[in-house]
Amino acid sequence: MGVIGYGLGVIGAGFGIGLAAYGATTSMARQPEVQGRLFTVFILASAFVEALALIGFVVTLIA
Amino acid sequence: MNPLDKLGEEMDELLEGFTSTAIHGDLTVGLTQYTFWMMVAAIALLVLIFVFKKKQAACGLVPKGRFVNGVEFLVEYCRDDLCKGLLGDTWREHFPFIASVFFFILMNNIIGVIPGCKPGTGCIGTTAALGLVSFVYFIVVGIKSKGVLGYIKSLAPAGVSFPMNALVWVIELFSTFLRLVTLAVRLFCNLFAGHVVMGTFAILTSLFFVPVLQQITPQTLGFAGASVFWIAILLIIYAVELLVAVIQAYVFTLLSAVYIQLAEADEH
Repeated sequence: MGVIGYGLGVIGAGFGIGLAAYGATTSMARQPEVQGRLFTVFILASAFVEALALIGFVVTLIA
Repeated sequence: MNPLDKLGEEMDELLEGFTSTAIHGDLTVGLTQYTFWMMVAAIALLVLIFVFKKKQAACGLVPKGRFVNGVEFLVEYCRDDLCKGLLGDTWREHFPFIASVFFFILMNNIIGVIPGCKPGTGCIGTTAALGLVSFVYFIVVGIKSKGVLGYIKSLAPAGVSFPMNALVWVIELFSTFLRLVTLAVRLFCNLFAGHVVMGTFAILTSLFFVPVLQQITPQTLGFAGASVFWIAILLIIYAVELLVAVIQAYVFTLLSAVYIQLAEADEH
């Protein structure tokens, strides 16, 4: 059951990282000069999203 | 006979290996495998600094060589990207803290991905301590720049009228304490989860390869072929883990810098 729960949880995180990457790539294509700053923000946003998925993973293993 | 039968057992053993066990003394006062590798990382960092200083002095005015330039690149990256980019004028004051956190976590993570070693940051105790250090640091910076009352007031944004103001203040206070938890849990979960995944694929590789050593039949040869596939995935995950080791050190430091900048900013 826990494994199914983790799979469900990851759907959200997958959407989140996908959206972040989508936003980053489109804005980099429009304005290549802000690439450096955008990369920082992208990594930051992905870290926030990814943390949720990882909390799910660890809780699955522990519980 | 199915190699996957033993997977549950082996997974339990793997997870057992990741829980803190005392190798000297007990869990309250003693040395666990994680603190041991954390000390190894700290000593490696000290050795790195001394070797760097010596090599830099030997170079004379212009630093040359792969090692010296590599370390300089990392320090300059930390200075320009994390400190100057985010903190603005006061970067010089916070650079020592930011750089030491970055290099400590980076060294721990890199040592962790070497097979046979454990990451010091793969244990919730270490990351909670690091998160607490960062938390106390940005609160002290905030209090220094605005005063105790000023900092407490500055949690709520200026320009919001009275009843909403109090509500926002409570939410902001809660989120400030949540930063401590998320800093610690993010780093721990990334390292822990990454190592569990690597361990799982290593176990799968060995489980699928063992039958072919006992007797050679078409079925066991098929399992051995699957084991090659597992080891390919293991190598890919290993590369991803190397990337994660750097990115997580970067993220932790970046978030610390952002929080310091928020605490220092005049307007919130």
